[in-house]
Formats: sequence, structure tokens, C-alpha cells
Amino acid sequence: MDLSVLDRLKWLQQQQMVSPEFLQILGSDGREELKRVESYLGNNNDELQSFRHFPEFGPDYDATDGCISRTSSFQMEPVKNNGHNRAIALHNKRKPEGKTEKREKKKIKAEDETESSMKGKTNMSNTETSSEIQKPDYIHVRARRGEATDRHSLAERARREKISKKMKCLQDIVPGCNKVTGKAGMLDEIINYVQSLQQQVEFLSMKLSVINPELECHIDDLSAKQFQAYFTGLPEADSKQSIMADFRSFPLHQQGSIDYSVMNGTKDQTSSSWETHSQCLYNSLRTDSVSNFFSLK
Amino acid sequence: MERQIINKKKRVFSLEPNKNPSAVFTRKYTSHLVPALKKLNMNKNSSKQTVKHEVDMALALSAQEFAWSRFLLQKLSSSTNPTTTTSSSDGIQILERSDKEGGNEEGEIEEKLRELQTLLPGGEEMNVEEMLSEIGNYIKCLELQTIALKSIVQDST
Repeated sequence: MDLSVLDRLKWLQQQQMVSPEFLQILGSDGREELKRVESYLGNNNDELQSFRHFPEFGPDYDATDGCISRTSSFQMEPVKNNGHNRAIALHNKRKPEGKTEKREKKKIKAEDETESSMKGKTNMSNTETSSEIQKPDYIHVRARRGEATDRHSLAERARREKISKKMKCLQDIVPGCNKVTGKAGMLDEIINYVQSLQQQVEFLSMKLSVINPELECHIDDLSAKQFQAYFTGLPEADSKQSIMADFRSFPLHQQGSIDYSVMNGTKDQTSSSWETHSQCLYNSLRTDSVSNFFSLK
Repeated sequence: MERQIINKKKRVFSLEPNKNPSAVFTRKYTSHLVPALKKLNMNKNSSKQTVKHEVDMALALSAQEFAWSRFLLQKLSSSTNPTTTTSSSDGIQILERSDKEGGNEEGEIEEKLRELQTLLPGGEEMNVEEMLSEIGNYIKCLELQTIALKSIVQDST
């Protein structure tokens, strides 16, 4: 540590206009705990600038510290937010006197507890932490104005944000997801899409099993050109439809009883284009005219 | 004539064959599946089950960097009678700590997530975040698989 503890506190005080009472209070605590606080702070001075803006919390918030901010320990008075809804690194509102010790200990405990639960989450700004920190596994969660800051809801929120980020990625992959909004609708779409893909694979493999004896002479002829055409840059929705349309034209020898139970399992579909196509296909297969449709050369 | 066909094994190679992951996957997939199908042909006892088995096996082998492919491989190698991927199984329930803010709404979403888990091979053993990212690449591989299968089928008719 380049600065002594008190020097650093004084520096912070200048930055944040923390009341001098706090310093006294802190001073009465063991130095050790202060050092721990220090270590949370790290050497990054830039981050502390943001501390000028504090959201206002209700008075009944405990000094908890799930996900970490280095500077959270220094807020003693509720500083009125200037109306910004700024996302800030997490910090807590502290009650003066008597809570400081509890806070310090909680912070250390929190670090231990949350480390295991939050391993693997992204560490945003740990690079500046000093070498004295043994477990620099911090997570920066943005606590917006008026939101809960206790440990559990923070963890929940971080988790939820990750999940929604992944849902957005899935939205790009699954065609037709853009029209639906909300988690439930999107999940519905995704489920239907995966099911239909799996059914397609089954259907195709069934066909393969049927025409397998004929494959031998043709397999060497498979040209990669065809594959290229299919998978480079085709929009997924279109390729699905074309696959569906082509199914009807394939001659297929009916071997025993083809298992249609899979196809009966489709749920009520929303009206996206590929789903109606798949429904049409399966309906047509289920009719009695299916035997006329299939013929072996 | 046959010799000509055999010599026609020209592939259109790209200059950087390993850059496009779809291409890599499809290439691997067909290289696994086609010989397997040939072998099945020789044995002359190709039922639907074994072809499906080979198809799934090819899928699992071509996508080994993903978690679900490992689960799929396990399932395939352990079971003599391979179950279809669309069968539902009683999965291990994911322990979700939902806030119950929306009441029913959260429950619905949980339901759907669980269903998604049953669809994905090995999904029951993953937590939600993992599962969502695995689902993404599973979908991609399924799509490529259907395209490859379709090409194979189309080619031989």
C-alpha cells in the first residue's frame, strides 16, 4: 500500500465529501478491518469518481454487500441523487454508528459466501486490485435507483441479466422469434423449433433407412457443391420451408408401420410460417392416401 | 463407368477449410455418417433404429466441443435400444430460486425452461444459463444435420 489508511480516507473524503464523523468511527475500529476495506478499494482511483452519485435507499436497508464495490464502505450519509438513474457500481447505504463493524465483517463473509456462488461470472475491473487481495472474485452489478441491494436480490438480478442476454442470442438463432416478445413466448418458439428440428431429423433418418440399400451406388457421387449451396448463407427460415416442400416429392417405400406417434406430439402451434408448413406436411402424411404417395421404383 | 464415378470424388475445397464452423461441422458429420451408412448397408439389417442411432452418433461425434454432444454420446453408447431424442424423460428438477414476482408468470417460464431441458440431451444436468447457451449451438447443429441428411437423401434418389 502506497498510502496509509488515513491518507487514503482523507483522499476519499475530498472526493466524496464524506463526513469526518465517519473517519472517527472508522478510526475506532481495528486497523485490520480498515485494511480489508482498503483492499476492496484497490488502487483504482478512477472508479471512486462515480461515488458522487448515490441513489437513495430506504432506511431499512441493512449494510449488506453481496456483490462488491470497493468504495461502498464510505458512504455515510444518504446523498441525494441528482435525478440520474445512473448505473453505478454497487454500494450500500450505511447507517452510521454501530453498523460499521457489522458491515466490515459482513463484507468479508460475503466475499467468502458469494465467491463460490458467483464463480465464473465476469470480473469487470479486477485488474487494478492490489496484490494483497487473496480472492479477487468481484462482480459488478449495477444497482439502479430504487432497487434492492441485498445480497440475494443482487445475485438474482445478475443471474437474470445473464439469462436475458442469452435469450437475446437465441432470438437471433431461432427464426420467427423477433415477432414474439417476452420470455414465455420466445421460449415457446424455441421449444417448438427444437422439437420440429428433431422431428425432421427423425423423418429424414427414417427415409434414409428405407433408401439405404440404394445408397451404395450413389454415395460416392455426393458432391460437396451441394452442401456448400445449402449451408453457406441460406436464411434459415427459407431453407426450412424448402426442406418441407421437398418431402412430398420423395418416393418412399413404406416398411411396416412407420412410427407417426412422434408427429402426433406436436402442440398447438402459433402461426409462424415454418410451423404451419410442418403441420401441413405431417397432416398429409397421416392421411390414408399416404400409400399412394409412396411408391418404390 | 464405375471408375469414373469413383474418381469423381472431387470436393470443392475452400482455401481456409477450418474457418467456417458450419462447414467444419457438416464436413465432419458427413464423413462420419456416410461410411457408417455404407457399413450398415453391408450388414443388411438396417432397421430404422440403427440408422437413427448412426445419425445421432454422427451428430454427437461431429460436435464434440459442446457439452450436449458428450451427453448424447453417453446415452448412445450406453443404451442398446436408442431412445428417440423427442422422448420425454423425468429429468432432475432444476433448483430455481424464483422471486415469484409475477406469480404464475414466473412459474410458466420455469415450466418452459424445464421442457427445454428435456429436449436438450443432457439438459437436465445443466443449470439454466448453461442450458441456454448449449441450446443455441444444439439448434445450429440440428439445422446443419437436417441439411446434410436432406442432401444425402436427395442425392440418392
